[in-house]
Amino acid sequence: MKIMSSNIRKNNIELWDRNRGTIRSSIGGWKVGEAVYNHGYSMMDDFVGKISYMQLIMLNATGRLPERKIADWVEQVHICMSWPDSRIWCNQIGALAGTNRASVIAATSAGLLANDSRSYGTKTIVEGVEFIQSAMNQYKRGLSADEIVKNECAKHGGKPHIMGYARPIAKGDERIPAMEAVQKSLDIPFGDHQVLAYKINDILSRDFDATINFNGYLSAVLTDNDFTPRELYRLLAILVSSGITACYVDCMDKPAESFFTQRCDDIEYIGKPIRKFPE
Amino acid sequence: MLAESSKEERRDEQFAEKISTKIWLETPSEENPYLTEESYCHGYSLMELMKKRSFVDVLYLLFRGELPTPDEAELLEHLMIALISPGPRHPATRAAMNAGVGKTDTAHILPISMNIYGGEHIGGASIEPAMRFLRKHRRKPAQEIVEELFANSQPPAEGDWHIAPGFGSRFNGIDPMPAKIAKQLLKLNGAGDTLRWADQFAEVLSYHNKGWLNTGVVAAVLTDLGFPPRSGAGLLQLFAAPGLLAHGIEFANKPISAMPFPKDEDYVIEYQKK
Repeated sequence: MKIMSSNIRKNNIELWDRNRGTIRSSIGGWKVGEAVYNHGYSMMDDFVGKISYMQLIMLNATGRLPERKIADWVEQVHICMSWPDSRIWCNQIGALAGTNRASVIAATSAGLLANDSRSYGTKTIVEGVEFIQSAMNQYKRGLSADEIVKNECAKHGGKPHIMGYARPIAKGDERIPAMEAVQKSLDIPFGDHQVLAYKINDILSRDFDATINFNGYLSAVLTDNDFTPRELYRLLAILVSSGITACYVDCMDKPAESFFTQRCDDIEYIGKPIRKFPE
Repeated sequence: MLAESSKEERRDEQFAEKISTKIWLETPSEENPYLTEESYCHGYSLMELMKKRSFVDVLYLLFRGELPTPDEAELLEHLMIALISPGPRHPATRAAMNAGVGKTDTAHILPISMNIYGGEHIGGASIEPAMRFLRKHRRKPAQEIVEELFANSQPPAEGDWHIAPGFGSRFNGIDPMPAKIAKQLLKLNGAGDTLRWADQFAEVLSYHNKGWLNTGVVAAVLTDLGFPPRSGAGLLQLFAAPGLLAHGIEFANKPISAMPFPKDEDYVIEYQKK
């Protein structure tokens, strides 16, 4: 038998012994009577009254304190993702929690868990960023936006399944012009990824009647501002929380089990017919 | 600027008019269409299931659509007992204890700890990849797969190396408990080919200071029992739920000082400016 050396230092437990009974923080903590430290800053001296809450969220998620204007832009992104519409999947979980009298914290955290989805929300933004980064690499290698779209469609049987473009329910996305206005007012310039994202939009619109969606827009702007997919996944963890809370409150203030009600026969049973036990 | 192409228009996408399910039938009461007169699980009356079948039988029925054979039910029940508590040191159990001692609403103890148990490190999120790994490789010689894996992967800079989902080192050693659990399950009549193959695979890995992880055992048994890979994460959480809850509740009546709060000298700030 061919034996490959892989882990020669069997049962070497140094790593675990170093952390046994001790918490080692790479971010900060509370030194009683001295300060609360956060990434080398004193929170009371350097943060309170001086930075925005979104700047702090971004520091805690990425380890970098961003410029105020980027944090202000990201805050507006959260507004765009906080609709009080209980038809939206994560919001409906908030509504169901309300109608079943769960606590607001249970409701909001349950809805946030739903946002950890392959179909919508934060994870799809990660995918959107990965796409625009890959598209930019291809573009820099000399491929045209047309060729990039063609290659991407070829992966999906010729269909324009590109994260950041097209969306369910509606065509177009009115959050984009709203956020472009915010971007302009904050003096955040259009970067290379945003320009490329719009070129791809033009091609998809011409050939497939599909347009860039909010994910495609913000993936491009965030990439232009040097955020990595991993940072964004962490940074946008509570992106949809406020819409969930809103839908919870709407149902909590109405009679229990009165949200989007169903009679027994509103469920279509398509399973095995009623049967006896095997003898 | 994109003002023109961003203008919203509703798509005529077709959504279902009704929810449909193969699992559960509720027949309405004659007096009130919102009340259930009888419930059926895959065609069997719930009242009859209560009288004639075990909890494990009905759990199997829910996911597989048919009742298990006695051997299948025995295998599943033994697995569930093996996984009933991750133990007091496990991060998920500690989360339950933290919630308990912190006087968190007791309704949240289980969701909190199960969320943690859903993680990728020997948790729920690794069951589906482990099931897919076993399905893909179980017809090939275990030795060949081990060689292939080592040739195509690198150990992490620090910490445990899970060379395949469900298999690897734990605290840089071979975890004896999952190996014992697997050996005991292998003695049952219901033990299947996947579990047998995975045991050979773990045996080859032992030459590399690696072996079974709990998640590998769960993945192998669930594969043999025909559970869909996507059910794996939740089933692992479900199996561990009783232990997680019990440990959390144990602390719900204790003072907040009943768990360690490290002294300042045991809380070390090692911040490095990036």
